[in-house]
Amino acid sequence: MPEVRVRFYATFRPIVGGKHADVAVTEGASAGDLLDAIVTRWPELHEHLIRPDGGLSKRANLFVDGRAVRFLPEGLKTPLRESQEIDCFPAVAGG
Amino acid sequence: MRLSNFGQDIAHVDLASGRVEMRPAPEDWTRKYIGARGLGVRYVLEAGAEVEPLGPDNLLCFMNGPLTGSEASMSGRWACVTKSPLTGTVTDSHQGGWSGARLRWAGFDGLVFEGHSETPVYAFIEDGRIELRDASDAWGKGIHETVAFYQERYGEKNLAVNAIGQAGERLNRFAVWVNEDDRAFGRGGTGAVGGAKKLKAIVIRAALKKSEVDDRDAWKAVRRDALDVIRDEVNITSPKKGGLSVYGTNVLMNVTNRIGALGTRNSQTTSFGDRAEAISGERVQETILVGDPTCHACPVACKKEVEVTEGPWKGLRMESVEYEPAWSFGSNCENDDVNSIAKLIDQSNDLGMDPIELGNVLSMYMEATERGWLPSGAGGLAWGDTAAMVAMADAIGLREGEGDLLAEGTTLAATKLGHPEIAMAVKGQAVPAYDPRGLKGMGLGYATSNRGACHLRAYVAAAELGVAPGEGEPLDPLEWKGKGELVKIFQDLHAFSDSLDFCKFSAFAEDAGHYAAQYSTAMGVEFTADDVMTAGERIYNLERLYNNRAGFGAGSDTLPARFTEEPSTQPGSEGHVSELSSMLAEYYAARGWEDGVVPASKLRELEIV
Ligand code: SF4
Repeated sequence: MPEVRVRFYATFRPIVGGKHADVAVTEGASAGDLLDAIVTRWPELHEHLIRPDGGLSKRANLFVDGRAVRFLPEGLKTPLRESQEIDCFPAVAGG
Repeated sequence: MRLSNFGQDIAHVDLASGRVEMRPAPEDWTRKYIGARGLGVRYVLEAGAEVEPLGPDNLLCFMNGPLTGSEASMSGRWACVTKSPLTGTVTDSHQGGWSGARLRWAGFDGLVFEGHSETPVYAFIEDGRIELRDASDAWGKGIHETVAFYQERYGEKNLAVNAIGQAGERLNRFAVWVNEDDRAFGRGGTGAVGGAKKLKAIVIRAALKKSEVDDRDAWKAVRRDALDVIRDEVNITSPKKGGLSVYGTNVLMNVTNRIGALGTRNSQTTSFGDRAEAISGERVQETILVGDPTCHACPVACKKEVEVTEGPWKGLRMESVEYEPAWSFGSNCENDDVNSIAKLIDQSNDLGMDPIELGNVLSMYMEATERGWLPSGAGGLAWGDTAAMVAMADAIGLREGEGDLLAEGTTLAATKLGHPEIAMAVKGQAVPAYDPRGLKGMGLGYATSNRGACHLRAYVAAAELGVAPGEGEPLDPLEWKGKGELVKIFQDLHAFSDSLDFCKFSAFAEDAGHYAAQYSTAMGVEFTADDVMTAGERIYNLERLYNNRAGFGAGSDTLPARFTEEPSTQPGSEGHVSELSSMLAEYYAARGWEDGVVPASKLRELEIV
């Protein structure tokens, strides 16, 4: 699994320069590894995605097959598998 | 415009006799119920919960809050409160724009209309005067034409025209009032109450007035504190940076779709798959967006004005493509054509109909058509047939042909078709754009809303989607535990902000402390964050008391069986249903209610009786 397709939304799109991107990760990577790879590639996303003390910012959502990683039993340690859908959103709301 | 004088200038207008009397609101009412929503409900309760919604005894209240039209951020809102012809509950809706502010600047805190006029009239308001004038020449016109008609008569400068369209005149049960062409008192059928009273419009001419307060420096400081958090780049309200400001409310489309919380095909499924992108806020911004209008004193500017550049509605320029109608006319009708959505929203704004209810009634009728449940001779509607949807929207607004049945609203129309189970509604009002199988707290919010299904009474989706200002943390949208207490807190907080009257979206940045500081400084009274929550709780219980008296009690706080019995099949929420009964038990315990009924002890505790 050398690359993972990540879809980006809303204010993250102008930073990434598109709707999705293939992000390189190592074999057996976890959601947290993917997060690291994303902010390494797009440093501008760091302040949006990562808390000052590390970990996923509460103002961002990383979804694996529609489930927010923060609520999965293994959290950022969740191993990624082939053909999963990965979505990366800023926190959003409206009415 | 002395803010602490709020409540002194309430006009009572008897439409039968044409008599207008100025009577201050009882001091006890403004102290306990604040203004706008809370004060309006108190007036409507006084008229009795048994009144016929479309009869002469129902009151139609247009209420400002104590901060409406002031310099406080997002304070352009006012409330329309009445007994709903759609639900039979008390209902309140809120408009943005400038009408509420202009009413305040013209010297009024609220308008209470009673009785029925024999002939069409409009209220003209200026400089402390209110007069009923003949509206025969505007009756029959759509809202856009009515606005232009009165602008021609009175000039555009400093003018607000708040009107009903043909739908209100023809007593469509989900008719609305619209001002500035596109800002609606959207839910509950307030426009039909106007139509029954033959009140076509409220026309207000008033220029900006500055607020007077005892401590100007403190007033400036508390407003600055609120504005700072609204502008803070970490918040979605941040002008030109936050998701709400850049993309508008339709920034939600992709996320609810991805987590399996986007009702599709009349909520038969919970995701629109890859087609949601075509109707999302991101797509609108890329393709047809032409402007970001705003409301009085709001730096967020979340409204999205568009111009359609191709297809049958080419040249249509309108606002605003919001998440709710993008869903109701979009995925829920299996329609991924954003141009048709703009057209249908504009029709709603012109004929004067609630686009949430209209989209639901269309999707319900599509399901009835698919299942062969139509009366003989009816043509029905196919999923995603945009030309037919546009034609049917006209028919519903004008109550013509099959539109006459659908103008009764989703619940009544489905019941008349013999299949109430395909009405996605609570207490007679159709559901908004968050599927309760994928966002558990929203389902409880729909079920316990005092005005029928509503996303705005308890907007817990914010916390469930990660918008948690201050120290708050995101909450799992699929976890039902804890949602009872959470829904109560949000309902109470929003009941207060709706009574100030602040835009609901202020809560994406401000907290109860900000509201308390601005209210206490403006009014010159001691008022804390705890007082905010108590006043909100009092208002929520007052509404519930009204509904209990109107016959709503055990079993009324419910959801369509589709949400509690048919598991989601889509990623994100797959296998989930709404655990409503478990959440309700938690909620009633937090509220101190017995089976949806407020006990006398609670009424005394909150000083309602
Ligand atoms: S956030 Fe949007 S709806 Fe609210 S006051 Fe501002 S422009 Fe109006």
